[in-house]
Amino acid sequence: MILNLLTNLSYYIPEIVSIVTMCALLFLEASYKASEKSRTMVFVASLIGLVVVLFSLISNMSLEPVSLFASAVVVDKFSTLTKILMTLGTLGVVYLSYKSKDIYTGLKSEFLIMAMGVLVGGMLLSSANNLLTVYLGIETLSILSYVMSSFKRHESSSTEAGMKYALYGGISAGIMLFGMSHIYGVLGTIQFSEMVPLLKELTGANLAVMLISFVLFFVGVGYKIACFPFHMWSPDVYQGSPLPVTTFFALVPKFAGLAVLVRISFVFFSNEGALQIGWIGLIQVVAALTMTVGNVTAIGQDSLKRLLAFSSIGHVGMMLLGVVAVSESTTRIILFYSIAYLFMTLVVFYVVSTISDKYGTDSHSVIKGLIYRHPLMAIVMSIALFSLAGLPPFSGFVAKFNMLSAVIESKYYALAFVAAINSVISLYYYMRIIKMMIVEQPETNEKIETFNFINQALITVYAIPVLFLGIFWEKIMLISDGAKIFIVP
Amino acid sequence: MIPYIAYLGISAFLFIIGLAIMMSRKNIVAILLGIEFILNAAALNFVTYSKYSAHNLDGHIFALFIIVIAAAEAAVGLAIVIRYFQLKETVHIDEASELRN
Repeated sequence: MILNLLTNLSYYIPEIVSIVTMCALLFLEASYKASEKSRTMVFVASLIGLVVVLFSLISNMSLEPVSLFASAVVVDKFSTLTKILMTLGTLGVVYLSYKSKDIYTGLKSEFLIMAMGVLVGGMLLSSANNLLTVYLGIETLSILSYVMSSFKRHESSSTEAGMKYALYGGISAGIMLFGMSHIYGVLGTIQFSEMVPLLKELTGANLAVMLISFVLFFVGVGYKIACFPFHMWSPDVYQGSPLPVTTFFALVPKFAGLAVLVRISFVFFSNEGALQIGWIGLIQVVAALTMTVGNVTAIGQDSLKRLLAFSSIGHVGMMLLGVVAVSESTTRIILFYSIAYLFMTLVVFYVVSTISDKYGTDSHSVIKGLIYRHPLMAIVMSIALFSLAGLPPFSGFVAKFNMLSAVIESKYYALAFVAAINSVISLYYYMRIIKMMIVEQPETNEKIETFNFINQALITVYAIPVLFLGIFWEKIMLISDGAKIFIVP
Repeated sequence: MIPYIAYLGISAFLFIIGLAIMMSRKNIVAILLGIEFILNAAALNFVTYSKYSAHNLDGHIFALFIIVIAAAEAAVGLAIVIRYFQLKETVHIDEASELRN
């Protein structure tokens, strides 16, 4: 038994490395002196930790699906790919937080410690194999996120963001837990693999209880990915948090939430029956409303952060389309969408962060005539925005196209229609930013000089996948080949 | 022996009280209290089902985890609320409207 657990640990190296890095950062913080050298050291340590995590994840890619720790977690290709995406997102955000001025200046390594913790929570969530692990993952993710969003301790807006996040989070976690308790009551187990055969035999009252319980369960996951009825916290938190934290929230918790939603949909709802009809119906309605609310509300926003919050809500709606069309190929499509979304988001937030650091505000007006002040930044931002809007030949187009074709293949024509309309709506507000950057004259002709060579190189590196994934997407799809969900006992 | 349904009734009652508190009260500390009600309702459910219908220990373990995590969540939530009170001198939910377009 003990030997078995020890061998399991060898599959779990990425998580262990993350936790070790987190603890190492705590110790480094103890020896922290207020100097540039000390600050750089902390960042380098966390970058090294993350790179090690990334490599150990890549070496895990070739493993057969296996369940660990008495079936608490499962390591398969899908979960490993999601973890890679989350680690890449964290890497990008860690560098962003190093250069950003938006974050509280007296901050030492708190951001990095919390970010590693959220990463561990996300990893747990994406490989969850029983209800307890789902709950633990969501809470690890959430509780650290509350702290992260209230990092600017001296500004009431940031504290307010953290407070709203904590309240919404607590409520939805509680409701989710109540749903889980009834799922356990009806089925008598919390293991996914033991639940699947029992679900088929449900009838009558038990089935009704199950349907309601899964709706309650969806509240918790839906809040984590910010889909329609539970999206209210998202714009407030995005606006109030420091920009690196906002970027982080746009990436890691979303991927983790989507991963667990995909896993649950595949494990429990791939058999035809009343449960599947109920669940797919729920996700369909939620996806359509999420897209529409996100994109329509984004139009009137002045704050760039708020606009990006609503645009990310719109994208989550798009990704939910993949959950609706439950089949093996859609897992790959969702993963591809996530990859495209990762790089687009990193580029956009990087630019917005630089600009709002310089002007001290993130209102629309600061971006006017950006092309006269920093051409590279404006071009890269335009590429990312075109891609977010889903125009060919960028990666966003391929991602959206694949998603729509999967939905049409599964004959959800109304949903595909809503998604297409939403693409048009989103085009409007993305184009408005591009018009502001390129056509309109700047208020001042002062050049942005703080954007040094490393930043320029980095932003170009982020933009390359946005451009090339749109052309060579089949190769990337091959990597995620076989990334289906396994039910491992 | 107390019947099975009594426990479920109490837990449903706690859940509804929690929801009602969160919807009607404007004090942020009271809302945190409402969250605790809901978490405890879920924990009670788990223990009941564990004893009466599932006959395994999964529910007991789940309840222990709920207690620990609820404590962590309350600690973080209260810390943030205290900070907010220091900055704004109020814990009224309607006053927290700075982030609105």
